[in-house]
Amino acid sequence: MSGFVRAYARNKGALAGVVVVLLVGVVAALAGWLFPFSPWDMQGAPFQPPGEMDFLLGSDSLGRDVAAGIAYGARVSLLIGAISTAVALLLGVSLGAVAGYAGGILDDAIMRFTEFFQTVPSFILAIVLVAIFSPSLGSIVTAIAIVSWPPVTRVVRAEFLSLRSREFVQAAEVLGHSHVTIVFREILPNALAPVIVLASLMVANAILLESGLSFLGLGDPNLMSWGFMIGAGRSVIRLAWWMSVFPGLAIFFTVLALNLVGEGLGDALNPRLARRR
Amino acid sequence: MSLLAVEDLTIALPRGADRAHAVSGVSFTVDPGEVLCIVGESGSGKSVSAGAIMGLLPAALKREHGRILFEGRDLLALSEPDMRALRGAHLGMIFQEPMTALNPLMRVGDQVAEVLAVHGVGGARERVPELLESVNLPDPARLARSYPHLLSGGQRQRVMIAMALALEPKLLIADEPTTALDVTTQMQILRLIKEIQTRRGTGVLFITHDFGVVAEIADRVAVMQEGRIVEAGAAPQVLNAPQHPYTRALIAAVPHRMAKRAPVEGRPVLEAVGVRKTFRRGGGLFGGGTAVHAVADADFVLRKGETLGLVGESGSGKSTLARCVVRLVQPEAGAIRFHDTDLTRLDRRGWKPFRRRIQMVFQDPFASLNPRRRVAEIIADGPIAAGVPRQEALRRVRELLALVQLDPGAGERFPHEFSGGQRQRIGIARALAMEPELLIADEPVSALDVSVQAQVLELLEELRQRLGLTMLFITHDLRVAAQICDRVAVMQHGRIVEMGDTAQVFEAPRHAYTQSLLQSIPGRGWTPVESAPVVAHDAYG
Repeated sequence: MSGFVRAYARNKGALAGVVVVLLVGVVAALAGWLFPFSPWDMQGAPFQPPGEMDFLLGSDSLGRDVAAGIAYGARVSLLIGAISTAVALLLGVSLGAVAGYAGGILDDAIMRFTEFFQTVPSFILAIVLVAIFSPSLGSIVTAIAIVSWPPVTRVVRAEFLSLRSREFVQAAEVLGHSHVTIVFREILPNALAPVIVLASLMVANAILLESGLSFLGLGDPNLMSWGFMIGAGRSVIRLAWWMSVFPGLAIFFTVLALNLVGEGLGDALNPRLARRR
Repeated sequence: MSLLAVEDLTIALPRGADRAHAVSGVSFTVDPGEVLCIVGESGSGKSVSAGAIMGLLPAALKREHGRILFEGRDLLALSEPDMRALRGAHLGMIFQEPMTALNPLMRVGDQVAEVLAVHGVGGARERVPELLESVNLPDPARLARSYPHLLSGGQRQRVMIAMALALEPKLLIADEPTTALDVTTQMQILRLIKEIQTRRGTGVLFITHDFGVVAEIADRVAVMQEGRIVEAGAAPQVLNAPQHPYTRALIAAVPHRMAKRAPVEGRPVLEAVGVRKTFRRGGGLFGGGTAVHAVADADFVLRKGETLGLVGESGSGKSTLARCVVRLVQPEAGAIRFHDTDLTRLDRRGWKPFRRRIQMVFQDPFASLNPRRRVAEIIADGPIAAGVPRQEALRRVRELLALVQLDPGAGERFPHEFSGGQRQRIGIARALAMEPELLIADEPVSALDVSVQAQVLELLEELRQRLGLTMLFITHDLRVAAQICDRVAVMQHGRIVEMGDTAQVFEAPRHAYTQSLLQSIPGRGWTPVESAPVVAHDAYG
């Protein structure tokens, strides 16, 4: 484990990524303590620039605190990123494992099914799904999960295909292990490295998707989110640039940090690269 | 003056490596028209020496001191453009892996012509067929137009040799050029190198791990161990009267004793009748694809307490046949009877009781152990799956580790902490944990260095006697087969072409293929000396 941490820490960008992600996490966790009021409540005069009237990052067209919106929005972004990724992983890993391990007709069927989802542009599909099920936390998470599992399936299937023919898996077969044991104990732990890397990128992607949906007004109406804030500030951008710039920066840095983390994990989990550095 | 003189060459390894120097204080010479073999086990620094001469060392390896003189010029002092002018024109090199040494997107002829064109030789294209012919390739004009994937391994290695020799270099460096090839092909390539070398008076630096190859081709020999040359001299002298204990241990480890055992008369344990397996490759919606007959009508009988060797070259179907026996591959026809049960008719559940009685040892010690599990878990897994209580299975791990001569504490560690030979012992312990009657060993020593190979063979032989195992032993190495098997079955193109007692097959082979196989054993005219006080094997394990 310490070897892994050392290999990871050698990538300075990845280290910075972790720091930013942790920072966002802390802000999200402490949102209720830092801003002990609802982000939807009016806190003062509208259109106050950053620094005026105790508004750290200014206020919006209804006098709501932008800083509070970003803190509460971090909760929504991380929550949706984490849950939708978990759901997509569950779906993608199971389907990919079955396809790669079973092979044959089952493999063909699952892969054609996967391709069906991949041929539809994922953002459009997400919009359609949210529009059909009416915007809510549940429907947004479901929509994001449904559009983001296909790459996981492909990666897991490829790993299973190559690991299945390895000798230690054949040895397990000869020892008389059941399919379930072989999949979960022999193959899956060895297939996880690329999935972990992919997962960190999927969280970033989910945050972007959610922001996009909220921007279009398809977010959960009860939750303050970064995308919604940009959408609300868009029409007054020349009057109050801070309304869209700060949530935009929040999205930018969070997504960048998650990508850096993914790259760092990829390097650290790849034994050949880790050794070369 | 020698063609090549390496003087006191010392090359440092990066910090954190298992020793300070890749090679240290290495000196040797190659004269025109002479073959110098550098022989050693993996990690002995023999490939680093060759790489240093060609200027092909990885950036992490730095020269500390020493010189490499080629016709009096120090190669290590040359600039990169000067070195490039020498490479190909005066120094030729052949690599180990012919499958990856050619560019798959370029026609073979163009690749050979490129060598000539780079060095500014005119009329390159016209000379290609002539060059290909000089390495005994059939129909050179047609071959020059082919892409590499259409060529066999041996043909590709010939093309590599043609490229290396295109400009008639004075020195040819061959880094394990036949290791990836089958024995019959290996023999052809060795003869070719010898023939070209005599005809043109080329100096050859030949790197190998195989003493048989040394006996076949070398004029002089240098033996390397851990970056140093421990013994050097004329080939007959080093091979037949080795002085250094390491050389003696290496030569004694070359399998050479013929198994002399009473014929086994037990009742049949395993009987294969008309086993057939065809693989279909390619083909999809619009094509039929091609069928490969991996195993075609194989019959054999294995009696209790006997070791049957399945020998053959790559692609002969020997591994597929072994995998049919343990149901890693489902044969499409024929019967495999274990005592009175036909294993081919059982489903997965029906097979389960037989998993305890039939076990397998795999070829690759690095791929056959799950890297994420501890050794004790790997070994105890089988018995636990078969219903032995966990505590008892884990307790038996210590006995098993002792049985395969590993430290009992080894169970707590992960596979990557062990060497190849130790991993193979773990693989054997895993198979033995099930207390099988029948052990199938699929090339269990072919990935190991010769001294480690000798230890593992010894261990298998000892276990066979102690536990009364019946063994199906798959190998491509005829020397190994001769040492460990009671009977051998020779396979070619999926068929068993000859089967009989080891002594009889080796001394009076009946089938033409067996005869050509036996004639291709490198150094078959040489019998390794049985040096009595061999230094303890463990020193090199």
